[in-house]
Amino acid sequence: MQNKRAIFGAKGLPYLLLAPQLIITAIFFLWPAGQAIWQSFLREDAFGIKTTFVALENYRYLFHDPSYLNSLKVTVVFALSTAALSMGAALILALAVDRMLRSARLYSTLLIWPYAVAPAIAGVLWWFMFNPTIGILPYLLEAVGYKWNHALDRGNAMTLVVIASAWKQISYNFLFFVAGLQAIPGSLREAAAIDGAGPVRRFWTITLPLLSPTTFFLLVVTIVYTMFDTFGVIDAITEGGPAQSTNILVYKVYQDGFVGLNLGSSAAQSVVLMGIVILLTVIQFRFVERRVNY
Amino acid sequence: MVENQRWLNVLAHAVLILGVIVVALPVYIAFVASTHESGAFMSGVIPMLPGHNMVETYSAVLRGGVSSQISQPIWLMLGNSMIMALMIAVGKIVISITSAFAIVYFRFPCRGLAFWMIFITLMLPVEVRILPTYKVIADLGMLNSYAGLSIPLIASATATFLFRQVFLTMPDELVEAARIDGAGPMKFFRDILLPLSKTNIAALFVILFIYGWNQYLWPLLITTDPSYTTIVSGIKRMTDVQDGTPMWNYIMAVSVLAMLPPVAVVVFMQRLFVKGLIETEK
Amino acid sequence: MATLTLESLGKTYDSGASAVRDVNINVADGEFLVLVGPSGCGKSTLLRMIAGLETVTDGTIRIGDRVVNKLEPAERDIAMVFQNYALYPHMSVRENLSYGLRNRRMAKAEINRRVDEAAKILEIGDFLERKPRALSGGQRQRVAMGRAIVREPSVFLFDEPLSNLDAKLRVSMRGEIRSLQKRLGTTSVYVTHDQLEAMTLADRLVVLRAGKVEQIGTPLEVYQRPASTFVAEFIGSPAMNLLDGVMQGHALSIAGASLTLPHSHQGPVRVGVRAEDLRAAPAGTTGGLPVHLRYVEELGSQRLGHFDCAGERLIAAFPSGQALSDEMALMAPPEALHLFGADGMRLA
Repeated sequence: MQNKRAIFGAKGLPYLLLAPQLIITAIFFLWPAGQAIWQSFLREDAFGIKTTFVALENYRYLFHDPSYLNSLKVTVVFALSTAALSMGAALILALAVDRMLRSARLYSTLLIWPYAVAPAIAGVLWWFMFNPTIGILPYLLEAVGYKWNHALDRGNAMTLVVIASAWKQISYNFLFFVAGLQAIPGSLREAAAIDGAGPVRRFWTITLPLLSPTTFFLLVVTIVYTMFDTFGVIDAITEGGPAQSTNILVYKVYQDGFVGLNLGSSAAQSVVLMGIVILLTVIQFRFVERRVNY
Repeated sequence: MVENQRWLNVLAHAVLILGVIVVALPVYIAFVASTHESGAFMSGVIPMLPGHNMVETYSAVLRGGVSSQISQPIWLMLGNSMIMALMIAVGKIVISITSAFAIVYFRFPCRGLAFWMIFITLMLPVEVRILPTYKVIADLGMLNSYAGLSIPLIASATATFLFRQVFLTMPDELVEAARIDGAGPMKFFRDILLPLSKTNIAALFVILFIYGWNQYLWPLLITTDPSYTTIVSGIKRMTDVQDGTPMWNYIMAVSVLAMLPPVAVVVFMQRLFVKGLIETEK
Repeated sequence: MATLTLESLGKTYDSGASAVRDVNINVADGEFLVLVGPSGCGKSTLLRMIAGLETVTDGTIRIGDRVVNKLEPAERDIAMVFQNYALYPHMSVRENLSYGLRNRRMAKAEINRRVDEAAKILEIGDFLERKPRALSGGQRQRVAMGRAIVREPSVFLFDEPLSNLDAKLRVSMRGEIRSLQKRLGTTSVYVTHDQLEAMTLADRLVVLRAGKVEQIGTPLEVYQRPASTFVAEFIGSPAMNLLDGVMQGHALSIAGASLTLPHSHQGPVRVGVRAEDLRAAPAGTTGGLPVHLRYVEELGSQRLGHFDCAGERLIAAFPSGQALSDEMALMAPPEALHLFGADGMRLA
């Protein structure tokens, strides 16, 4: 931990200053997390009267439960597709804006505002556009002979939640790609041009490798986003359906806990999710550290 | 630019214009839908050009009582969202800036422990610990209250780290000069640290306001009493129609209203927004 | 106005490293004391201990007849000028000057009087309403001094206040600080690593080395009778020449030459001689050091000859017209030679 040279000597004051943060953390973070871990070792009977300690039984059950394994698979597909779509689109837009001089700011403004739209609202907007009866896109798709129905078709449902989630995340990735591109010294590209590399070749041999730290960072951030922040998108569009095809882990925790009232399983799922967040945070921090060292 | 290749510039403009259109399309269609009468959606496909019913639709949803789903006046939900977003943003900033101050400018036993306790909150998003946290709120009798809506979301490692970073970059001599000038810790905090962190606070506020406004799952669980519903979580209830078609024009009007405040913040405070976004991810 | 007394002052960090050891200094009322030494010698730590920014682990600090060891910086009746000025960036110059006075709940009229007076002395009256970032380096320096002046403290503390200025400005500000201090008559302690600055400013200077006092004295005393080879090499430019020699009674043999000295000693010694004390002589002159000329630096007013002398380097200063040849001899009057023992301490 970095330290200041000049510090104040007061004894009680620092505790007083920290108290609100620590109290809230203890009551609303540590206590519930501890409860989740404890709960994950217990099983309640059907009437919620008797609770028995079952050790790792909930976990064992979880990883043999086809619906949970399905949820894991769905989450991976969802996270990777959303990351690929939002980062790909963002990179193309960032490269285009990077060429602009005067209009860069205007284009940026027009591209970044979806960041402010709540995931749930994004879900509602896309759900409306793809509504099988009145939506504009199914209407157009029908003209080319494709029958769209995300309420029935598993692939359609996944496609729709991916589009809606990616739409919202493009702005974020775009901003960081633009910043990353601006950090590449112009002289490098000029040197490559003098060495006879055309624009496409320059992109693959100079720009993309130098952007790789940004790309990796955005990949982690986008995966975190799709895993935890897209609850609203799923709830607004598919509610995990049809046939569990969009039931990502976070949504399943909520469903099993609040709707299914299966406390032990929900708690075990929470603990698994915490493990995933910790893993992703560690990856992100190690990466930040490395970036600082360069 | 290395070469002035015309076709590349044209292509770039084309890509950007296409991007802007795709990004704006869902909102445009929602807006168009909100300007038509309910009957306009019977014909089969959403109209693509604005209608004439805009004023009527928006004033109807703001007043409320449109249907069984939109019985609440929307301005009430907007108010709730505003209160929640402000409480979360202000609360996060206040507790983060004081704890960062304590961690950077004091030496005391358990300082490292406090630091790690704050760090841990990074790893526990609400969605992950949703059920036990809900139980805590219920046990504390904080369901259906503004406190229940905002306080559990207030603790934030990100904001604390940001302020810690800001404080660490301030020259040590400033504290020393202040101490020689007779300023105690709190006076130094108020007279020097706060004014010097002004833009960081503003940038963070923009990000946190959007974060707070866009909360969905938490308000959905905590508020069963409709008078505490926020607009973002309220929309879901409007789309859940068992019989007949949803009232598209009203739902879309509410959606537009729900995204207006945070989008306005991003557009009008773009510089602060970008600063906040990039700083909080460092 | 007050004296400042440091008695067996020491500072040991929690890690066990000691930064300052057994420092005893009496600063007279109105005296300008300069602490000088290479970086890491503990001079800044010592100053910050006087200011109350570092805790004291041994000894006492007295301002006037008050022991201030345990007092907060603000209670010690001192003012400090920092290396990077430490002006509050969000406050105007006027607010910067008055902040300390307002914290003391001084009457508004008195604050204004003091600020205006300081502004007049330092000629910063024209930009009292500006923010520090709108000022040049020299102007910021003045504001930093103004902040010290308005407090009318018992002691001024300066922590390398000129090191952020360019060379030309540094010289003129040096003069201003000196004349200002004379005029106000405030006891001052000034830290610098620049020996020329130390020489020109100090009433007395303290040469520090590894946390200990190596020598205290007026600039001339220190220059003319350095207490050790460390001081001899640190004070003065070019640095004093040091050569190995052996003494037997009054006879010194050095680099192949023999000299008879007024003082006597037995055994190996380090012999110091200042560049300006050396005279040119033709090669082979008795009692002269045989040297080989490497190159000449022309300074305009004088020329510096760089020589090889039995494998050691020697610098000598000559009047600008002086003719020099490749092989020649250098002479020094015996009374201009400084003798140091094998431990580096002065013999005579």
